[in-house]
Amino acid sequence: MDTFVFSLLNGTVYGLLLFMVSAGLTLVFGMMGVLNFAHASFYMLGAYFAYSLQGLLGFGPAVVTATLLAGAVGVVVERFFLRRVHHHGHAHELLLTFGLSFIIAEAIKLFFGNFPVDYRIPPALDFAAFTLGRQQYPAYRVLMAAVALAMFGTLYLLLTRTRIGIIVRAAIHRPRMAQALGHNVQLVFMGVFGVGAALAGLAGAVAGAFYTTNPNMALEVGVMVFVVVVVGGLGSLGGAMLASLLIGIVTSLAVSVDSSLADLLALVGAQAWAQDIGGLMTLKVSSLAATLPFLLMLLILLVRPSGLMGEKT
Amino acid sequence: MTRLSLPLLAGGLALLAALPNLLPAGLLIASIQMLIAALFASAYSLLSGRAGMLSFGHAAYFGVGAFATVHAMNAFSGTGLLPTPLMPLVGAATGLIVGVVAGWFATQRSGTTFAMITLAIAELLHALAPQLKSLFGGESGISTMRAPAWGINFGSTTQVYYLTLVWVLLSLALLYFHSLTPAGRLTLALRENGHRLRLLGYNVHGLGVSAFAISAMFSGLAGGLQALSNEAANYAVFEAGVSASVVLNSYIGGVSSFLGPALGAALMTFFGYAVSDATQSWLLYQGVLFVLVMMYVPAGVSGLTGSGARLVKRGGWKLALPIMLLSAGAALLLSAGGVFVIEMLQRLCSQDYRALAQAAAELPNIALFGRAWAPMAMITWAVPIVLLTSGALLTTAARRRLGAKT
Repeated sequence: MDTFVFSLLNGTVYGLLLFMVSAGLTLVFGMMGVLNFAHASFYMLGAYFAYSLQGLLGFGPAVVTATLLAGAVGVVVERFFLRRVHHHGHAHELLLTFGLSFIIAEAIKLFFGNFPVDYRIPPALDFAAFTLGRQQYPAYRVLMAAVALAMFGTLYLLLTRTRIGIIVRAAIHRPRMAQALGHNVQLVFMGVFGVGAALAGLAGAVAGAFYTTNPNMALEVGVMVFVVVVVGGLGSLGGAMLASLLIGIVTSLAVSVDSSLADLLALVGAQAWAQDIGGLMTLKVSSLAATLPFLLMLLILLVRPSGLMGEKT
Repeated sequence: MTRLSLPLLAGGLALLAALPNLLPAGLLIASIQMLIAALFASAYSLLSGRAGMLSFGHAAYFGVGAFATVHAMNAFSGTGLLPTPLMPLVGAATGLIVGVVAGWFATQRSGTTFAMITLAIAELLHALAPQLKSLFGGESGISTMRAPAWGINFGSTTQVYYLTLVWVLLSLALLYFHSLTPAGRLTLALRENGHRLRLLGYNVHGLGVSAFAISAMFSGLAGGLQALSNEAANYAVFEAGVSASVVLNSYIGGVSSFLGPALGAALMTFFGYAVSDATQSWLLYQGVLFVLVMMYVPAGVSGLTGSGARLVKRGGWKLALPIMLLSAGAALLLSAGGVFVIEMLQRLCSQDYRALAQAAAELPNIALFGRAWAPMAMITWAVPIVLLTSGALLTTAARRRLGAKT
């Protein structure tokens, strides 16, 4: 029972982390219609910035600075790269961001080497938040969840309750109309892109210390985040939240399930037959955990092509 | 076919056929890889260039083809219905079957979602492959042997080269033929305007699946050739890097012309082979080149010849030659400066150098291009700055000429 609660909690925290990264991605997609392939690279940049700055500034200020730096890189990418190729169409923009993600990953390898760096939680934050049964739950996970929830709350209030939020939503929904009404839509685009990148950077700076910080982290998280935005519905913030939690919890729970398809078939008395076949039939669910999000995504696409809460197609 | 390109094509074929007599064995192995990469890129750009559906997961079909071929080679051991030279057909068939299934899913959606689905399918296979040991051989992969057939033993690189060459040329011819058929023309229409195509009564989903499946089939064939040449397959063929390199190669070459992706892939593979000893940052150069091409030459490197020819046609050689020379000079200077900076940084940030720097009192010198550079000296950073600035100056000069005369 304890293990179940723990995996549930871990899954929720991982889901919230995925949400931090996918929030910016889905907002930018809703606004510009382009899926930013380099988005997860900002997550990686955040982790590496915080890692290199923490010796100089200490953990807290390093995380804040890393967030701002990642946002600045995002602004540069939008202003000097994406805007230049905008007239070539969405496919071209997608390819350009793909190339940029490739360059960022290779540049990280150049500067920091192709191996994980020693980026750790500061000792001051490394304690147990509470004890359940006989296991201790690390406070840092609780902190990560709190950061993500605070971010969701702020973002939600900012978008629905403030004047800036109204303009941003107008620019997302009807960019030409917003422009005709005298708003600087280009600036809004750049701002949202930068904020999205900064949020991904924040997620990286916070999570990089807990998970590993290596040059592959962008790809690992990136693929998962694309699954999240497709499952949640492209452009929907609430959908991103729902899908993040769903995927986080499903993968986390699956890791602790120790049965296979053959065991399921035992219910209809076909266990021996399934075990004879081997292969997929006898694979434990726990070893399939990494593939479950992709299966979920294919399932969603079949049943509900626009995603859980998506409206734009 | 214009008057010019037919002799050019014949010359190219003759050169390819004569290659084993001209090259040492090491380069011949690289040529096999170049041919395979060229076929893979051509297959890829049928889907992404011609049909306009961006795929970021083509490694899946390449890998499936490779594994199917390895299994077939082990099962038949060159005898029976499938002698060694026909083995790539297994890869093609498997690629086709997997392509139909994956394509049926993926082409439900278009645009960005399509791209994400292809990525997810490839990652699904990549995550699943190491778990299915009996099928994909786990970490170590599966190895096999080329069995003799038709009186040829397929032991030497030359024989493998000719086998690969025949298959690649045949496939390229088929792909070209496909682009001339009504189905091929409709694929182009699919990219331009899917809605209108649907309105005209065509089965858009079926067309998409067919383009996907054909592309996957030839990717599988390329994978089969790879397996045949390496005599092994490892689940690393499903890695995202394989999918990425085919995207980069195709677009650097230019997907708008038929041979562009093939040339791009061959060139990139050759450079990758040639500089693999000299630099560790080849992938970075490849990425930078790709982004530059996407930003400044959307038609790709093969599109450059086209725009050069247009320039000559419009203004004559007198106008075109200075511009071409200026641009070539600018490209040379800029890349020299860029390479200098990247290589310098690479050496500065390397593990060995950091250890050395910590042991010594001051920063040790860096050996690069046959000279020792002091990391803190002015001259070290003046060289790339001069190179880059003069390159930028030449670029503006070329642009000004282009702008003034046209």
